[in-house]
Amino acid sequence: MRRLPFALLVLLAPATGRAADHTPDDLKFFEARVRPLLAEHCFKCHGPEKQKGDLRLDSPAALAKGGSSGTPLFDRDKPEAGLLLRAVRHATGVEKMPPGKKLADADIAALAQWAARGAPFPAPANVAGLDPAKHWAFQPVRAPAVPAVKRVAWPQSDLDRFVLAKLEAAGLKPAPPADKRTLLRRATFDLTGLPPTPDEIDAFLKDDSPRAFETVVDRLLASPAYGERWGRHWLDVARYADSNGLDENVAHGNAWRYRDYVVAAFNADKPYDRFLREQVAGDLLPAADRSARNDQLVATGFLALGPKVLAEPDEKKMELDIVDEQLDTLGRTVLGLTLGCARCHDHKFDPITASDYYGLAGVFAGTKTMEHFKKVARWHENPLATPDDLKRKADHDARVSKLKADAKALGTKADDTSKKAVQALQAEIAALEKAAPELPSAMGATEGAPTDVPLLRRGNHLTPGAVVARRFPTVLAGKDQPPLPKAQSGRLELAQWLTDAKNPLTARVMVNRVWRWHFGKGLVRSTDNFGLIGEKPTHPELLDRLAADFVADGWSLKKLHKRLMLSATYQMSAAHDATAATADPDNRLLWRANPKRLEAEAVRDALLAVSGLLDRTAGGPALAHVKNRDYLFDHTSKDKTVYTSNRRSVYLPVVRNNLYDVFQLFDAPDAAVPNGDRATTTVPTQALFFLNSDLATRAADALAARVLERAPAERVSALFVLAYGRPPTADESRKVLAGVAALESEFATEPDEAKRARKAWAAVCQAALAANEFIHVH
Amino acid sequence: MTAPFRPSRRSVLRDTALGFGALALTDLLHAADAPRAAKPHFAPRAKRVIFLFMKGGPSHIDTFEPKPQLDRDDGKPYPGQRPRVVFAKTGNLLKSPWKFKQYGQSGSPVSELFPHVAGCVDDICFVHSLHGTNPAHGGAVLKLHTGSDNFVRPSMGAWAAYGLGTENANLPAFVTVCPTLAHGGVNNWGAAFLPAECQGVPLGNASTPVESAKVKYIEPTLAAGAQRKQLDLLADLNRGHLAQSGPDAALEGRLDSFEMAFRMQRAMPEAEDISKETKKTHALYGLDDPVTAPFGRQCLLARRLAERGVRFVQVTHSDSNVQWDQHGNLRKGHAKNALEVDKPIAGLLKDLKARGLLKDTLVLWGGEFGRTPTVEGGGNDGRDHNPEGFTVWMAGGGVKPGFRYGATDEYGWYAAENKVHVHDLHATILALLGLDHERLTYRHAGRDFRLTDVHGTVVKDIFA
Repeated sequence: MRRLPFALLVLLAPATGRAADHTPDDLKFFEARVRPLLAEHCFKCHGPEKQKGDLRLDSPAALAKGGSSGTPLFDRDKPEAGLLLRAVRHATGVEKMPPGKKLADADIAALAQWAARGAPFPAPANVAGLDPAKHWAFQPVRAPAVPAVKRVAWPQSDLDRFVLAKLEAAGLKPAPPADKRTLLRRATFDLTGLPPTPDEIDAFLKDDSPRAFETVVDRLLASPAYGERWGRHWLDVARYADSNGLDENVAHGNAWRYRDYVVAAFNADKPYDRFLREQVAGDLLPAADRSARNDQLVATGFLALGPKVLAEPDEKKMELDIVDEQLDTLGRTVLGLTLGCARCHDHKFDPITASDYYGLAGVFAGTKTMEHFKKVARWHENPLATPDDLKRKADHDARVSKLKADAKALGTKADDTSKKAVQALQAEIAALEKAAPELPSAMGATEGAPTDVPLLRRGNHLTPGAVVARRFPTVLAGKDQPPLPKAQSGRLELAQWLTDAKNPLTARVMVNRVWRWHFGKGLVRSTDNFGLIGEKPTHPELLDRLAADFVADGWSLKKLHKRLMLSATYQMSAAHDATAATADPDNRLLWRANPKRLEAEAVRDALLAVSGLLDRTAGGPALAHVKNRDYLFDHTSKDKTVYTSNRRSVYLPVVRNNLYDVFQLFDAPDAAVPNGDRATTTVPTQALFFLNSDLATRAADALAARVLERAPAERVSALFVLAYGRPPTADESRKVLAGVAALESEFATEPDEAKRARKAWAAVCQAALAANEFIHVH
Repeated sequence: MTAPFRPSRRSVLRDTALGFGALALTDLLHAADAPRAAKPHFAPRAKRVIFLFMKGGPSHIDTFEPKPQLDRDDGKPYPGQRPRVVFAKTGNLLKSPWKFKQYGQSGSPVSELFPHVAGCVDDICFVHSLHGTNPAHGGAVLKLHTGSDNFVRPSMGAWAAYGLGTENANLPAFVTVCPTLAHGGVNNWGAAFLPAECQGVPLGNASTPVESAKVKYIEPTLAAGAQRKQLDLLADLNRGHLAQSGPDAALEGRLDSFEMAFRMQRAMPEAEDISKETKKTHALYGLDDPVTAPFGRQCLLARRLAERGVRFVQVTHSDSNVQWDQHGNLRKGHAKNALEVDKPIAGLLKDLKARGLLKDTLVLWGGEFGRTPTVEGGGNDGRDHNPEGFTVWMAGGGVKPGFRYGATDEYGWYAAENKVHVHDLHATILALLGLDHERLTYRHAGRDFRLTDVHGTVVKDIFA
């Protein structure tokens, strides 16, 4: 396998040298007082769009250059005499600025102070005052030394030492450990997306061994529910959907195969590098057998699942839009880079040029994921048929042909018997054709015609520039890259380059994603953007350490889970601490566990689980009612999708443009773009769901039935253990029983006592399920 | 470049003393007047928008922009350059089957299709020079609603909600009545990356009869008394949990959201209940005629929602056949469509005016594109999609009444005079609401996003 070198990072001279002249306080003053006022009053005419009088005011270089008048904007020796200040003061002999309304006195004073400080202005795409190529995320992953800590008894692992060192430096201390019930609920939701059962709680409480929690983690990682949970996380960043969305919302009838592949890959702990290579170039990798080959073909669905404007009349534009969607998805998902920005111009913040973009675009242009681009365009599907499938199909076709021939022969006769026989035959043919075996296939990629593409000025295919040879972004892969093969797309080489252990982004981005899905926030909070404008890691050394260990562990995700969860950091309680909350309100230093609201899928799965309604059937087609490539709803807006099943949410259809309303309400993404950091919103329509939806009332009623099976004295306790994983306090018991009594009186018109009790308990169970404790994990 | 400040729901509730417990129904309607209303960037001309969306692409040259030269050259080949990308092949020029007349003081021409709207032209500001970029329904509908035809972006209603908030905390800021699920579907009223509370709340969809169009889960499953007790227990449980967990904005916000939902359950049906409107009002909107009743009801709902402080109301005219999309059957199709909406629209304009609401309510009428001056199909009775030039109109909300702006070329194919791109329309709508489209930004995925992306010029010439 050919490996491409990663760029040797050359230390370049600072771009301006000016930043160094200014103190942090100068720059802070500029950002706080001056930049906002320049942006509001000046940039419109002297910024990126317009440059009246050839003057720009939005970079230090432009300020130094001045405008067409030739007069410098600032006077170093006599700041008050500078052109800029005279203009804003409406002094005689200069053009009054801004035209129209004079600035407020306070603003003019701020500009005067700015000038007196020597007009500090940090270089624009250069926030840190560094060469963009020296941005932390582009540097090789190091394995930093473990820092020393004072509270030597607290850490359970090196991970904890990295966390504790920062806390101690800030004068903070970690929260006490979570109690066992809280920890079990957290770990169970984290790894499986389901609540712990009463039996699981008992078993953990009874296990006094020091390895009790490790036993739990191992059990959870081995559960098939693990892949359903973590596969769903991956589907978020793979923008997985069972329909195209956008303009022509047709069914991705075979997308479920990719979903099942992902779930299985997580359950099997498929090494992450292998997992990625299969998704980018599974069709080009050798395969052990037919089943492995089919899996690899299904994996390439990753490239094909994006939303497409299938009725775009400009076929070339459609083709390029699809390439762009694939490239942008790959960039954000795997590298944490917004490569798509460089389609129309060099990236504004990151050192990704338009040439870098078109170098990569050629790889996708030479990859076939579409059969044709005529409207309505048709995506490509790789055949997955086994010889048995083919034989079954051939037998079926032969049988239909024979019946048709028989019918035709009989059709020439006019007697009643023959007529009846023909009718019978036609009925049989119709029935057979309706049940025709469909040959299995999967959305995915195959090789197209290898090609280099021209750089398109402003991203427009009507203004092509020079052809760019296929290659990878220079900032990551260096200037001297071996050329990609002439006879192939270069996808295989791309897959290998992405998963090269030396790639500085791939492991960091994934480790950070896993951290985010466990801890609620990433070490890099902008999980999908590791570029210059993304957030910096709160714990850069820890991130590197985890990334290095991840690669050394053979890219094993299950080992990574264990490393994170068997730490004192993971096992802290979410206890509030007023001092720490004041010092670090966002919990960036990890002084406690973050309370988390359940994601949409977990809200629904938990409702079904605690009420005993959950159907654990795994896998298979998502859209039973709609054929592949049929419209989910066309112009009629009649939605053919059904969500009545009680199976886990990961198996419900994901319909773009009309996401299942429970998913929509609880912040599941519309699956148009990768999303590794779902929002958590609180809106009253969520409350309406808990109060009035069929799902909530059904779950509440079933839970009431479960609770009512118990002796009266055990009921509240049963409810709390099922819903919250803990028994109630005496006060809570009293309140709940008072609630039951109050509601029973509301249902006084119901003569049947048992029914009245069921109704009252159902209403109470519904309140318990609507409560914060049910949908939050602490 | 920050968005206008909007207080959290929590502080709103605190500030307006809307704590827990039931409130008398009458208190609910205006209980929370302007609590979440944020400050616009500058003095607004309109406080709210009602967007009458004609799905499918009504023909501008058959409705509001007569083309005498098209009449003269009927049946001849189109002499100009056709667009590089067209949706379908079309033949020779086809004159409008409908006659135009000038109306009102302003003398604005209207075809026979819109006799009632014709009576309102002195309140209307026509923009005859709109143009978009996408000749297919999907792209064009998304473009018109979100400013983007290939990415998922916030709807203009969501931007308005984001910029200005709602005037009534018991109702959503953005409501869309019977929207179409096709051609972008929910993305046409979605919030994309904006806060979820900015998204449009749909009442039914295009395949729901408007009488049964409801906000999802709005109908209480318990009687008010029982639900109150249920919510009291819930609040009790939540308060206990909150005391355990310590201060937490998300948990507190969720506590409040149930009270808000409780009130919304009553406020929304009240807004939807048109039974107390007078017979005269019903007749004004055409509710007494089965042909005009469905769209009439939508328009009346729009007024009731706008009146109660909903910032952006969209009403969609779409049936099971993309309604205005007459590739064939132009005469029959457009006549049917116009008949269904003409009286209700005129009713809405008159009603808003009579109630003093028109001055600060911007009514916007239009489809995703216009139609070609050339004939499509063999029947001499159809037109193809035309995003190159078409008409939208506005009324009220600070636009010049009885005014016509811009024009297409002599045949009506391309916007020619004072061209207004869809981005310009968006910039203008925001400006009418007191929002600067360049300053109404949201930081997402590493950069600031706008409704108008990097485009858009405010068409100040149409401001009153």
